Amino acid sequence: MNINTNLKEQNTYDAIVIGSGISGGWAAKELTEKGLNVLMLERGMNVEHIKDYDSAMKAPWEFEHAGKLTEEQKRTHPVQTRDYPYQEANEKWWVNDLDCPYTEDKRFDWYRGFHVGGKSLTWGRQSYRFSDHNFEDNKKDGHGNDWPIRYKDLTKWYDYVEQFAGISGQAENWPLLPDGKFLPPMDLNCVEKSVKERIEKHYNKSRILTIGRTANLTVPHKGRGSCQYRNLCSRGCPFGAYFSTQSSTLPAAMATKRLTVRPYSIVNHIIYDKDTKKAKGVMVIDAKTNESIEFYAKIVFVNGSTLGSTFILLNSTSDAHPNGLGNASGQLGHNLMDHHFRCGASGSAVGFEDKYTYGRRANGIYVPRYQNVGNDKRDYLRGFGYQGGASRGSWHEEVAELEFGGDFKDKLSFPADTWSMGLGGFGEMLPYYENKVYIDHTRKDKWGQSVLAIDCEYKENEKKMRIDMMNDAAEMLEASGIKNVKTFDNECYPGMAIHEMGTARMGNDPKESVLNKWNQMHEVSNVFVTDGSCMPSIACQNPSLTFMALTARAADYAVKELKKGNI
Amino acid sequence: MDRRKALKNVAFLLGTALSSSTIGVLFENFTLPEDEKNQVSFSGTDEEILAEFADIIIPTTKLSPGAKAAGVGTFIPMMIRDCYPPAMQHTFASGLKEMESKAMQDYNKNFLSLADDQKQKLVGDLRKDTIDKKLPYSFFTIARDLTLLGYFSSEIGCTQAREYLPIPGKYDGNAEYKPGQKAWAT
Repeated sequence: MNINTNLKEQNTYDAIVIGSGISGGWAAKELTEKGLNVLMLERGMNVEHIKDYDSAMKAPWEFEHAGKLTEEQKRTHPVQTRDYPYQEANEKWWVNDLDCPYTEDKRFDWYRGFHVGGKSLTWGRQSYRFSDHNFEDNKKDGHGNDWPIRYKDLTKWYDYVEQFAGISGQAENWPLLPDGKFLPPMDLNCVEKSVKERIEKHYNKSRILTIGRTANLTVPHKGRGSCQYRNLCSRGCPFGAYFSTQSSTLPAAMATKRLTVRPYSIVNHIIYDKDTKKAKGVMVIDAKTNESIEFYAKIVFVNGSTLGSTFILLNSTSDAHPNGLGNASGQLGHNLMDHHFRCGASGSAVGFEDKYTYGRRANGIYVPRYQNVGNDKRDYLRGFGYQGGASRGSWHEEVAELEFGGDFKDKLSFPADTWSMGLGGFGEMLPYYENKVYIDHTRKDKWGQSVLAIDCEYKENEKKMRIDMMNDAAEMLEASGIKNVKTFDNECYPGMAIHEMGTARMGNDPKESVLNKWNQMHEVSNVFVTDGSCMPSIACQNPSLTFMALTARAADYAVKELKKGNI
Repeated sequence: MDRRKALKNVAFLLGTALSSSTIGVLFENFTLPEDEKNQVSFSGTDEEILAEFADIIIPTTKLSPGAKAAGVGTFIPMMIRDCYPPAMQHTFASGLKEMESKAMQDYNKNFLSLADDQKQKLVGDLRKDTIDKKLPYSFFTIARDLTLLGYFSSEIGCTQAREYLPIPGKYDGNAEYKPGQKAWAT
């Protein structure tokens, strides 16, 4: 093939970062700050901080459909509409499913957003460290492969990313949930405080309740404004008060003047050079023109979201890598995991009629995992944590079925006398080799690419855990004096937690894993994968903070290796 | 990903006492054959009737103006056309016609000419019919749902029936509730 030399020079960078979400933004920031010229490729549109948050300042009555989706939106977004994330106010952050279909061997809800910032704009912002329990569980119970790192390997990187991102929270000295470098915590409300006191007393502090640790600023931080308690985060924050690529990592990377962002750039595959045994760049499909373009670099960071990255790697085949790049282990695409949730218990709190809330806190409470540690033994492995909270709503129990009229209306104008308090479990899913993704060549997306097929399900361990997720919640609420406690299980399918992970796992043994302890491919030394696909297990905590720490650590290593001439 | 907000939305709907079956219908995905996609249309008179209907559900009270003043009469047909699957559109449209026929049958007047107590009686009959027949949805439930949704998301609903704080700037989870204080709109 003849390649125009000038063009080749123009299209050559020190590093390419595939994806612009939470981990891609961190990769771009770290690599540019360490002196590399970086090209960040994003498959979707550009989103400019604040300016493009169209709905951020709208009042409820400024939305045409009062927040509801139209039939046309349901038609074009059949997957995104399966659960709540896709809404009128944030509709532009979600993909048109008809453009990018995938095959569901079993139901898997794949929520995606194609735009600069990715899911960093819409994420739940809950930010928890993993503990050594989490890093050791695979080894202890034999499920999955051993993590090649332990908490001590990540401690300083957690410190580092927390201090930059701005995580508010309360230190608790809880072994399963290490404390971090926190901004001041948000407040628990009066009902949550009462529940906290009573749970901790009843269980003699073998269970605790704390305020959620969240990437929302409680004080101004690094030029960003603090949270205004509007609870409209998923529209994009005009105050920059939560961590996103746009509010945080992108401005830092741009400040180095070494970052180029190219939107509408779908990475189809990584180009492998059999002579150097390294990646030499990537092949991009321009999402608008369908033109194919090659970009070249010494290092490639793959941060296209777990399944996005895994697709690219599986699609990067060559004589040397017939089953996908760096896939001699056969583990690429396997061990897909997601948290299981949507079950727990709720009830009502009485005796707080003289109290109300002021402001809308975009955060809730957290009960860290307490199962299968110490004397707590269950009939399943691993465990779960709870998220939830209390609020005084406008739900009036005494309203008759389908009531109407003036009294009814006036009743709805005042808060209810009771508060409601709920606990929803977030459970760990084990890694199972047979939960997998692969490329389905029988179908094509809008750009002519084959599509991903997903074959994933929860199994017995998760099903057993769900029973405890309901019953423990009910027990704790009852012990806290909550009335009318009811358990719920609203059914959960993999993908719904939007915490999909595990399909390019790290490990010490190249025969058992795709990446080494530096998130570097065992077989292709200049390719690093630092999004959720790298995770050998998923614990029960929200994972994004761990992606940030792993990314910063891997970028540090990659640049050192590059400077030593090892890459 | 904002789970608490989602819960709150559901709570809002529960709060306005929608039956759970109605909520399910409102949010379910409907996949319908192409030939069922012909939409219903509504006349200016229909919008007037719907405004009157909405004002029976959410009337003006001493505390605040009602649904008609909040523009719910045009909100309902717009939502029916944009956000409801054809089967429900048709249920709604024929139910609207039936309400008009019932007005003629019961009072020999069209709905708009009925006295207030007659309208209330008629709407009460529709409610009773829905409950007695355990209908998953009916003209009455759809129109009532949309009245509540439209009203409490309207400027009047948010700022007069309830209190709206665009930028609270702080969170106090132990604030004093003053007697007579309205509920927050969001």
